[in-house]
Amino acid sequence: MTAPLEGVRVLELTDESAEYCGRVLAGLGADVVKVEPAAGAPSRTIGPFLDDEPGPDRSLAFWADNVGKRSVVIDDDTGLLALCDRADVLVHTLRPPEAQARGLGVASLHERAPGLVVCAVTPFGSDGPWADYLADDLVLMALGGSMAACGYGPGADGVYDTPPLASLGDQAWRTASTYAAIAVMGALAWRSESGSGQFIDVSAHECSASMTEWHLMTYLCSGGVHRRGPHPTLTGSDGKQVAALNPDFLGPHVFAGMLEMLEAQGVAGPLSDPAFADPVHRAGNYREVWRALKRLAEKNDGETLYRLGQEAGLPWGVIRSPDEVLDDRHLRARGHFVELEHPELDRTVTYPGAPFLAHGSPWVMQRRPPLLGEHTEEVLVDWSAR
Amino acid sequence: MALEGLRILDFTRLGFGAQATLICGCLGAEVIRVESTRFPDAIRVMPPFVPEPGERGEAFGAATLANATGAPSPNRGGIFYKYNTGGKKSITVNARHPKGLALLKDLVARSDVVTESFAAGTLDRWGLSYDVMRQIKPDLIYVSMCGFGHEGPDAANVTMGPTAQALTGSTFMVGLPDRPPAGWSFSYLDHVGGYLGAIAILAGSIHRRRTGEGQHIDVSQLEPATALSGALLLDAALNNRPSRRPGFPTGNRRAHPPSAPSGAYRAAGDDKWVVVSCRTDEHWEALVGAMGRPPWAHDPRFATMAGRVEHVDDLDAHVGSWTAERDRYEVMELLQRAGVPAGAVQDAADRLERDPQLAARGHYTMLGNAEVEPLPLEGVPFRMSVTPPHTGGVLHRGPPCLGEDNESVLCEMLGMSTADVAALAADGALS
Repeated sequence: MTAPLEGVRVLELTDESAEYCGRVLAGLGADVVKVEPAAGAPSRTIGPFLDDEPGPDRSLAFWADNVGKRSVVIDDDTGLLALCDRADVLVHTLRPPEAQARGLGVASLHERAPGLVVCAVTPFGSDGPWADYLADDLVLMALGGSMAACGYGPGADGVYDTPPLASLGDQAWRTASTYAAIAVMGALAWRSESGSGQFIDVSAHECSASMTEWHLMTYLCSGGVHRRGPHPTLTGSDGKQVAALNPDFLGPHVFAGMLEMLEAQGVAGPLSDPAFADPVHRAGNYREVWRALKRLAEKNDGETLYRLGQEAGLPWGVIRSPDEVLDDRHLRARGHFVELEHPELDRTVTYPGAPFLAHGSPWVMQRRPPLLGEHTEEVLVDWSAR
Repeated sequence: MALEGLRILDFTRLGFGAQATLICGCLGAEVIRVESTRFPDAIRVMPPFVPEPGERGEAFGAATLANATGAPSPNRGGIFYKYNTGGKKSITVNARHPKGLALLKDLVARSDVVTESFAAGTLDRWGLSYDVMRQIKPDLIYVSMCGFGHEGPDAANVTMGPTAQALTGSTFMVGLPDRPPAGWSFSYLDHVGGYLGAIAILAGSIHRRRTGEGQHIDVSQLEPATALSGALLLDAALNNRPSRRPGFPTGNRRAHPPSAPSGAYRAAGDDKWVVVSCRTDEHWEALVGAMGRPPWAHDPRFATMAGRVEHVDDLDAHVGSWTAERDRYEVMELLQRAGVPAGAVQDAADRLERDPQLAARGHYTMLGNAEVEPLPLEGVPFRMSVTPPHTGGVLHRGPPCLGEDNESVLCEMLGMSTADVAALAADGALS
């Protein structure tokens, strides 16, 4: 079986903001070559580091988003352009003037290589009043709207005494990188029809602005804006929290399943009153539902609550830290986590693997993240002919 | 358009699956939603509802009676309009009716991709398992999208975005130190899962073009999320630094690279905030200049990044008292002009009405349908120079009314006559 992008050559000239794009394309089988200056890509200086010792080959942040790629060191733009001539895709994070200055302007690139797919991922896109503005992930999470919607609720006086919060993990950059991968694949599909390359202009701000689910529609429909506050949670007897959504809107079976479970656990109390079968009555007395759920939580630890809720048909989930996910039996059974050898360290490292199970074209996960310049000579040979 | 000619028979519901096919529709694929009048997609019939024409004034957003009294029609559910741009068509078919099932098989035979987001096993119970479908269409690309996927010990579990967020660490990553996680207040993973669903569809179609082979791709909402934590997983495993530890997560503060001042600061107004993020000494120098060089900024404790990080609480208090007197957009403009990364904390109303960049980029496209006046809707947030995506898909149309394409799809795809379609409807096969 071959991978969907096997044989596709991707040249990556990005900072940390768009490295996840290349990681996805590499997983799909593309030959992703990261072009770095002699000092290394800037992302190699970002921690955390292995054993907390900085070094170009020790950045775990770099590892996470560069697994599966090759690295070449090229310091002169002539060499870079020669590689562009032999690539199918160029992903970069240069604003238009910077790209121009390096000979990577779209017009001149397409003159040299009309089939090249050029994808620029920038904070605000190539034009518009904010095109020159500076942004990191935090700024983009603020402008995009997810930050305003995340955080703790107001105090009893209705005043928010804590700030809106952005997730860790560079989610705006990650969303932009994912959209970049989608656009590149769309462009490759088109190229196989037409032979034509094109320019893809990804604005991370626009990507960040389009990921807050129903909030725009709420405003359009009701004039209201979504205010921040956590989803309902239950705290188990071991202190672990469980996201405890009770989606009554999906139909009467939701409450019926919950009631059966609460009765079996002996904590249903007044909910057994047939009046609660009426959704209007239930909505008016939801506090009783919540009291019963709290009685359930006092008797069970977080993982048990997760299981009890799921067995009752409720979309409950125990809140895990990112590393606690490694123990999830379902993901393990699906073969999600992949161990890769780092021979120079004499270690094996576990990485998140395929984002889906593609039965005819498996995810490629064979190369550990590249050492700086590790493949310079090899790539120049491999890519010498097209 | 990039995917023109690709036909997707789309059984997705709610957000996660529909996000995937909306992306493909915006790229030019023909997306035919297969729906039910008896069990409409929940987001067609739950609030908030799009106002009736005349119910709102010049500005969007007047509260409506419909939002207080229940579903007025399956075509007014507001959230449906978020997830069903891309020029999707809608047909209604009763899969439990023998003629309905036969119709679905005819449609599968003429489609490239089948997508669905039901619980595992639903299509099998209809008599439309992957094995059945691939006998009809040997090179079919079948993309299933449900919370836990179709395989694995917990495949029967039920999820919504926040469930998957809890289980995969996404919820955990949003919070202040030493408090329970705040999490995402919306289904972020409906989006992320949908993006990977779109990648699965694209991968399947590129693979088929190269090999002639179809396949089943099983997308869950869990796997797309595990890479979202970046280095946290590696830091825990290799440096023995589990994320569940005192002082973690760190709210808006970022340890890598060490940056201060960096965070959300209160601005003038009720619960208004602005992000200022100094990642370098240059950013800090520029900030000090933009603030008019206040005496406190020359405190030797703040002279280096290491010093600013060490004394970040004091530093944040000073920066916050400067921002608190100023409008968030004024702070953003002033600092950006000075060379400091900064941005107003915007909500959905701000994005629509106060964000000049989104407006200039044409982020919103006005699209409606027979029942709903044009609304500013979103598609894919990138541009392509040769095959530009369109929020209304190939036909530049708005999200479909329930069953609005029954006749055109059945006549054009299956060669039926209007009378044939009417007879099927009378039979109950199109409910």
